[in-house]
Amino acid sequence: MAIIKIDGLKKSFGQNEVLKNITFSVEKNEVVAVIGPSGSGKSTMLRSLVHLEEINGGSIKIGGAYLAENGKYPKAKEIQKITAKTGMVFQHFNLFPHFSVRENLEMAPKLVKKMAKADLHRMSDDYLLKVGLSDKADAMPGSLSGGQKQRVAIARALMMRPEVLLFDEPTSALDPELTGEVLNVMKDLAKDDMTMIVVTHEMGFAKEVADRVVFMDGGEIVEQGTPAQIFDNPQHPRTQAFLSKNYQ
Amino acid sequence: MSFEYFISILKPMLTGAQMTLLLFFITIVVSVPLGFVVMLAQKSAFKPLSWLAHTFVYVMRGTPLLLQLIVVCFGLPVLPGIGEYLVLDRFTAASIAFILNYAAYFAEIFRGGVLAIDKGQYEAARVLGLNKFQTLIKIVIPQMFRIALPSLANESITLMKDTALIYAVAVPELLHYAQTAVNRDLNFFPFVVAGAIYLLLTAILTFIFKLLERKFSFE
Repeated sequence: MAIIKIDGLKKSFGQNEVLKNITFSVEKNEVVAVIGPSGSGKSTMLRSLVHLEEINGGSIKIGGAYLAENGKYPKAKEIQKITAKTGMVFQHFNLFPHFSVRENLEMAPKLVKKMAKADLHRMSDDYLLKVGLSDKADAMPGSLSGGQKQRVAIARALMMRPEVLLFDEPTSALDPELTGEVLNVMKDLAKDDMTMIVVTHEMGFAKEVADRVVFMDGGEIVEQGTPAQIFDNPQHPRTQAFLSKNYQ
Repeated sequence: MSFEYFISILKPMLTGAQMTLLLFFITIVVSVPLGFVVMLAQKSAFKPLSWLAHTFVYVMRGTPLLLQLIVVCFGLPVLPGIGEYLVLDRFTAASIAFILNYAAYFAEIFRGGVLAIDKGQYEAARVLGLNKFQTLIKIVIPQMFRIALPSLANESITLMKDTALIYAVAVPELLHYAQTAVNRDLNFFPFVVAGAIYLLLTAILTFIFKLLERKFSFE
């Protein structure tokens, strides 16, 4: 069953049409990598799934409920209910600098879900262990490396128990030697059957981990398929041109 | 110059310094929260409120504090019709002028603090499901406060020295007693004592704000 269904998505910033007519869906437990040149609309598409961007036309259905139907949004409360099914990991981590790592993890479930302190603690311990940062629970984000920050951000997103986790270029702001630790955490999540949409420039990761690769250019989906199809035998000339520049 | 003379001028000046400190604390305690409220009003989506707050800040920053002080002390009581209800004792009137003036400056400092918060912070808060109020309390205010601290420190030091302006409406404070002693004794020394007391007060302030900055650092 498709957990995310996008149909005829349109989005403009003024005169600039960034998403022209995006239609695709994501199955439960699927890992989808979205690749493409800068300005192709990848991030905007991803951000529209958590309502950080409002679309101008088309529909978004998440877990069977419409986040937007023919460009129209329901009431704020309903939006909140639907976007609660999705979590997001940002390029620049966006950790809260004035909270410790543990507080970063526990604040939202405490405020939004009113979870009990003991449960919160157990859960944050679990997720910190999962991302390999058990010893950093009391550290402040400012004292962490970029890779550690991003792993905290992933744990923070997981604390809300999302059905789908969205990654917006999660390793683009990292030093090359730090991308591995973040990608490894994401691989573990894929193994645990987390549904993920990953906007990325890491072709190696897309090829190795994704079930499906979507190539976007100029606000459209140009081509999609299995990693083998896209990387070894791309059909569209734009895909071929992009990969020849970005993938050996 | 004898030690006895020093003590004899120091005593009234310390009394004056109490008045200086009282005005300082009243102004800080009221104008910091008021400034925050004015900043929120400036950012309000309700246009008349936002316009009112912006006008308030413009007028308060655009006219001299001395003028505002004199208006509240001597101007309001001569307003036709309502003037007789606006006769306040000098110190109260002075406090009101200081509070309004400094609230405007603090509002601008807080506005700068809010502007400096990365927009990714709001996006993270939203994606995690925090509502606007929770985002304000948990994310915006703590970060705004930390960013604003150096400017708040600067403004507080200015306030400590600005208290000397109430000399103009004849509220006896530190400078008043220094001037009295200088005139009476034809001696420059009381001004030196006054300057030293101001320096001591601002040094204490600087120290307190340094502690606050360390306490609220994000490390």
